[in-house]
Amino acid sequence: MLPNRSRTSVLVFLLPPLLLYCAAVLFPILQSLFLSFFSWNGISDMEFVGLSNYVRMLTADDIFWRSFFNALIYLAICLVLQLGGALVVASLLTSLRRGRELIKTLYLLPAVISTVAIAFLFVRIYSIDPVGLLNQLLHWVGLGAFERAWLSDVNTVLAAVSAPEGWRFTGLYMLIIYAALIAVPKELEEAAVLDGANKWTLFTKIRFPYIRPVWITTTIMATTYGLRGFDIPYLMTNGGPGQSSELLTTYMYKTAFTSTDFGYASTISVFIVIECLVAVGLILFMLKRKADS
Amino acid sequence: MIAQTAPVHTPPTTTPPAPAVQKRRRKPSLYRTLSRVLIMLIVIVQVYPLAWLFLTSLRTEQDFATGDPFALPSSLTWENYARAFETGDLGRNILNSFIVTMGANILIVLFGMMAAYAIQVLGFRFSKFVRGLFLVGIIVPVQIALVPLFIDYSTVNLLDTYQSMIIPLAGFALPMSIYLFSSFFEYIPRETYEAASLDGAGPYRIFGLITLPLSLNTVVTVVLVNSIFIWNDFIFANTFVLSEELKTIPLGLQNYIGAMGKVDWTATFAAVCVTITPLLLVFLVLNKAMIQGLESGANKG
Repeated sequence: MLPNRSRTSVLVFLLPPLLLYCAAVLFPILQSLFLSFFSWNGISDMEFVGLSNYVRMLTADDIFWRSFFNALIYLAICLVLQLGGALVVASLLTSLRRGRELIKTLYLLPAVISTVAIAFLFVRIYSIDPVGLLNQLLHWVGLGAFERAWLSDVNTVLAAVSAPEGWRFTGLYMLIIYAALIAVPKELEEAAVLDGANKWTLFTKIRFPYIRPVWITTTIMATTYGLRGFDIPYLMTNGGPGQSSELLTTYMYKTAFTSTDFGYASTISVFIVIECLVAVGLILFMLKRKADS
Repeated sequence: MIAQTAPVHTPPTTTPPAPAVQKRRRKPSLYRTLSRVLIMLIVIVQVYPLAWLFLTSLRTEQDFATGDPFALPSSLTWENYARAFETGDLGRNILNSFIVTMGANILIVLFGMMAAYAIQVLGFRFSKFVRGLFLVGIIVPVQIALVPLFIDYSTVNLLDTYQSMIIPLAGFALPMSIYLFSSFFEYIPRETYEAASLDGAGPYRIFGLITLPLSLNTVVTVVLVNSIFIWNDFIFANTFVLSEELKTIPLGLQNYIGAMGKVDWTATFAAVCVTITPLLLVFLVLNKAMIQGLESGANKG
């Protein structure tokens, strides 16, 4: 603490940021919680309905559950592509002598492209008429039987809208994991190699335990970003065909701004927040406990 | 950096096997070749779609509709770009994105620094609690704020303004910025402040003369990392902005779809190329600083 500080100076520095934060983040959270107990379309009078929005969501809304499970699959695909891809590439990169900086830059490139542009791009990649990149590629490698309109097929659409999100940010997580991997002390690795450890044991026994704290951080980041994923599914299919690519976020958005059911939409968004908090808690619980054992 | 460094700290007892290890490393092993091939493949998957996007923007419509998508364009044309500029107001969109990005960045940097200064340097009784309060914003998804802000904006007449986008973008980015600045302020030695205090400098002068100039590197990091997300923001702009004059790039691009049900793909791709260029240039020029920023963001935790 600075010796010459005064109460006023603390307030001068703290109040403006705190006010902005309250206005944009904290107050809206409380407001959502409040709205979730009401039925309101934005025009007529608000009507207090108690817990009935929650009851409706959890017991009577099939679309909600459909979106919830879709969101879990979406999350799983994103996590595999982002964290799995990131870990593989970061590990491979440490064995490279030259060109690391270039590869890092190229790998990160999709992260600077807007989601709208990515949605456009992938609509064309998946298209069948005119034939898009994916179908053409399948044709060439002799898997022509799998050619299809990926975004209209109810069996593939969810995976098709999840993949771009995973593709987009895998470079970001790779950077973070790579920075952690090159911080592993060389003495540790060399000692293990002298003891006859092969690449795999080196990775599982030395490197991975060492980067575990960073791994926890990246897993939390990827999970919370995955659970709030919205842009790409909304832009590519708007949840369709039917509800086969509907996520909780897109369902909430439509409930709020298409059906103007602000109360029920708030109930869903409260659920999304709880879901994020539970996910973070679970990750910390599982990964920390493993580290202790 | 990794493989070439000689084992400096190797104790004498282990010297005999060391040459063997080095020899094994020098040989181009199967593992090394495989990992090179794999890295190349993955880089192609990351970069080829973007290269294809650019190539397609130079194709003629005819070529695009009938040709093999992997083939090189049969002839190059800039016509798509002309049509792209006719269809949408790309200049306007870029300007709007620029205004929103600048506005939000100023708030994020200034307020982030101020809050971190109050919490980390000045210190006060509830500083732990306030820090925790800010951390909530890192986990909470932005969607929670959409409905409440939409309602609040319509009561105070802020819908369809630049501020309607800047406020939530800055608010949700603030926690990370405070976090980065606080962890930087930790490294400024206490003695610096104490010496300045003895010379009679108050908290405002110390902020302006010591903390601010020292944290310029962190400012660059915070601005670069946030700019990627703000420049590309879709959800706040899509929810709060309606009029054409205020549309940012992501919304402007949407105009290319659905106007007549049919999409002019080559022109759309040309528009995409135009709009991603500014950020892409910044990224390619400053990628070292940007990459460092992204790495430090999580590795400090």
